[in-house]
Amino acid sequence: MRYLIAGCLLLMLAASAQAADHEPICILCHDADTMKPEFRKIPAAWRTSWHYRNGVACNDCHGGDAADAALAMSRERGFVGAPKPQAVPEFCGKCHIGILKNYLESGHGKALKASGRGPNCVTCHGSHDIQKANVDIINEQRCTQCHTYDRARAMKQALSGTEQKLRDVESALQKLSSQGMYTAEEEKTLFRTEAEFRTLFHTVDVPLVKERTDGFDHQLAVLQNRADSLFVELRARKNFSGFLTLVFVAGGAVAYLLAKTYR
Amino acid sequence: MVKKILNWIEVRIGLGELIRTHLTGYLVPVNINIFHTLGLVALSGFIVQVLTGILLLTYYVPQPEYAFKSVQNIMVSVPYGWLFRLMHVVGSNLIVIAVGSHMLSVFFMNSYKKPRELTWFSGASMLLITLTFCLSGYLLPWSQLSYWATTIVTNIPSAIPVFGAITVKCLQGGQSVSGITLGRFFALHVVVMPLLLLTSLSLHLFLIRRIGIATPPLGRKEEKRPWAAFHHEDHPGGYPFFPDFVLKETSMVMAFFALMFLVITFAPTLFLPDDANIPADPFKTPAHIKPEWYFLAPYQMLKVVPNKFVGISLQGIMVALFFLWPFLDVKKEDNLLKRRVLFSVFIATLLGWVVLTIWGKYS
Repeated sequence: MRYLIAGCLLLMLAASAQAADHEPICILCHDADTMKPEFRKIPAAWRTSWHYRNGVACNDCHGGDAADAALAMSRERGFVGAPKPQAVPEFCGKCHIGILKNYLESGHGKALKASGRGPNCVTCHGSHDIQKANVDIINEQRCTQCHTYDRARAMKQALSGTEQKLRDVESALQKLSSQGMYTAEEEKTLFRTEAEFRTLFHTVDVPLVKERTDGFDHQLAVLQNRADSLFVELRARKNFSGFLTLVFVAGGAVAYLLAKTYR
Repeated sequence: MVKKILNWIEVRIGLGELIRTHLTGYLVPVNINIFHTLGLVALSGFIVQVLTGILLLTYYVPQPEYAFKSVQNIMVSVPYGWLFRLMHVVGSNLIVIAVGSHMLSVFFMNSYKKPRELTWFSGASMLLITLTFCLSGYLLPWSQLSYWATTIVTNIPSAIPVFGAITVKCLQGGQSVSGITLGRFFALHVVVMPLLLLTSLSLHLFLIRRIGIATPPLGRKEEKRPWAAFHHEDHPGGYPFFPDFVLKETSMVMAFFALMFLVITFAPTLFLPDDANIPADPFKTPAHIKPEWYFLAPYQMLKVVPNKFVGISLQGIMVALFFLWPFLDVKKEDNLLKRRVLFSVFIATLLGWVVLTIWGKYS
């Protein structure tokens, strides 16, 4: 028995951890079998979304109390259900303020306001399964639902070069981060640049886009240079610690041989 | 001139006699093996931790608003700050391996038996201190990883009846991990634990030198005197501590540092996953938090045992048995290979630990 207890001896010493998935309480009902199928698919769609990856929960858009089932859909707690098409821009614009302004001034926004039939945010971006925006949202299939593709094509061409540079910088920063380099400041600058660039999308104004992409390209070039210099720094670090490894390997080998041959 | 200086010193402190007594004339067992060097390897690791820790301390700010930024600053702006921090991080993990391996080899060679019960006890204390060092240092970067891992670990005692809540409050300094916790862990890491380690280490080294190095049960045998009264265990016919054994130890210490720099070169993020690069956010719980690899086995064990209190109690009993084992194992045989039952339990325990660690990692 003593041995049995002793056998467990080394299986000890502190620490229990359990991941706590903090999902809003809304999910409890929306995942339930009794929920209508069109509402039941919402949690799964949301979990695949860019919002989910960035911690944007149901109540961040729809309001209500995400911690109390009884008040989850309380109007007093600011609950808003699915907005009507005309109310969608303001619904999303609570957070995407700059984009809302540009959208409302664009042809798309004016059309929606005038006729109630223009494209709103979800027309292009979807709703619960919303993904990170990129220039491919502008495509012939989507745009020709309402008008010809000529103007949209010109817009896409004007944006594509900058979009590629955005992707390149993003990928470089991710690579640096995965190798232990702190790139928080650069990521913030990239985020700001990207947000401003996305705002530009929504003007649907080709001459303006062409005029301003130079500015974005310059900001991205600065970031790319910074990323390149960090890669150089990373290589230098690697070389230095690699050199130290060799020094200690050589030192260890000398000491070992001396120990073996001393007598 | 040099001879004059040496003579001046010799007359005053008897350096030659000191060297003869403690180095060249101090004999170690003839069958001493590579595992006997692990103690010095761990000690070298601790010395590096102290030195790099002092350098980090120069730039680190133990306040929630600045802690993460100051660590970023060390990694990005301070000359060679990245190297000192990575040496500190990688070194702490390698020390756990070195101390753990040292304990295992001592257990395997039955070197904990009379008259070395206190030596084992001080060594076991140092293993516990090492792990507490790691735990307290983990929070200091104030990253998502450190914040939430500490939240979980400091809440474990809540399962203890009566004293649980007050223990958690003492650890956290409030209802949750906050700046107060950071201050407490910082004080623990840079003042309390170093003092405790120094005390245990001094006792450990004193006991080793006072009692003498245990004769390993394997290889060429030495004649052993029965331990009726205290005497220093001599090893006539053994090797001189210096230069023979010191050279062997030096090669192992070099290998330890070579391994450290190898990890820093080719896997600098091995112990710093993505969440370690994100500042702590008390309002955003990361999806999956796991403790460090050396806590994975007990973590998984607690998950397997259905009742949290039973799980903690079980682990508490095991820690107590671990410390008191030399007093419980009274058999004379000191060759583990000849003690089938104990050897089987030893191997089963090691395998169990590995299985629980892997299980904990991927569960």
